[in-house]
Amino acid sequence: MPAGIGQELVALLPRLRRFALVLCRSQPLADDLVQGACERALANAGSWTPGTKFDAWMFRILRNYWIDHLRRMRTEGMMEDISMQTQLVGDAGEGPILSRLVLSEVQRAIDSLPQEQREVLVLVCAEDLSYREAAEILDVPIGTVMSRLARARRRLMEMTAAA
Amino acid sequence: MSQLHLTDEILMAFADGELEEPTAAAVAKAMAEDPTVAKRIMDFQQSRRLTRSAFSMALMPDVPPELQAAVLAQVASYEADGDSKAGSDIKPPQDAWIRRKRPFMQMALAASLAAIALALGYFVGWQAEPGTGGLIAQLESPLVHHELNSSASGKDVELPFGRMRVISTYRLANGSLCREFQLRSSTEAAEAVACRNSHWNATFALASPISDAGYTPSGGGDPMAAYLQSIGAGQPLVDEAEAKALAEAGR
Repeated sequence: MPAGIGQELVALLPRLRRFALVLCRSQPLADDLVQGACERALANAGSWTPGTKFDAWMFRILRNYWIDHLRRMRTEGMMEDISMQTQLVGDAGEGPILSRLVLSEVQRAIDSLPQEQREVLVLVCAEDLSYREAAEILDVPIGTVMSRLARARRRLMEMTAAA
Repeated sequence: MSQLHLTDEILMAFADGELEEPTAAAVAKAMAEDPTVAKRIMDFQQSRRLTRSAFSMALMPDVPPELQAAVLAQVASYEADGDSKAGSDIKPPQDAWIRRKRPFMQMALAASLAAIALALGYFVGWQAEPGTGGLIAQLESPLVHHELNSSASGKDVELPFGRMRVISTYRLANGSLCREFQLRSSTEAAEAVACRNSHWNATFALASPISDAGYTPSGGGDPMAAYLQSIGAGQPLVDEAEAKALAEAGR
């Protein structure tokens, strides 16, 4: 068993939670996703190769867990309208911290991007992952990462310049 | 050489340090020759900085105690379990994942872009807006040069076009004296570096409009820090060392 995966996991929680929020835009759901993804990661700890990037491995698990969650919701016929859940800014209980986000035109601009652009933007520009790492996490070709990322960033510049 | 079509994807990859040679060299050449190409690359750098600021560690919400506790409990039960369950449906990362970006290259690129921005009269800032050159136009003012000769770091000086403050003073490996300073008017703030040979020359500048919210994008991609590192600024001269260096330079 790889030593210290538990510690790494706990240390990664804030970033996992942040990525989960980018994916689902709902605070309670994000916390559920993180918890579920951690459980799945621990159950499959043997598949993590020490020496490779733990954060990238975890982001991939988290995202796959999210996709499974969406699929389950759909088959159970109780799909929430996630586009209505824009609780990233201003969720109850996060006031002092998230109100500072309100300051940021940028945050709002990012929030308005389509999910496929938002997730790649955050992985590359906020999490500092390479295009290849992002492609592995998102399970798309590197060319797709680049076209989505370029579109997201062009849009971001347009929106913040107009603000 | 065949014509290189400068798509957004190529320029973005260049800005991110993800482009392989020889394409990177071709883009660098195009950037030096064509201000519009430089501007597009700077926009990609800017969007990265903005995103990083919006997601900065300082703004990251605390993990709720319940979540923290739940995961700690999972970890504890996993570690008590001992035997790891072999086999899984999760693919391990590929070897190629290990390829790391070259942080130094990135910083050198940021610095060279900013230097080009200065030469072209562009600003790297909240909004890259050519043509609002208030403070940038003052960098070569005799008043600024005078303060660079005499002001100690950390002291504010009122000038007709705004307030000036020298931040720090550096001696480069080649012996030249460089000073980082700020200019601030009611509408604009600029950070700059000037180095002295026989007289002061601005070698780097960033300017941005002052926003009402007082929000300043910053963080890991700080171009000023990258620039200072790229010229080998090292540790600043302080107190007597600074005073002595200024006195010698003034002679």
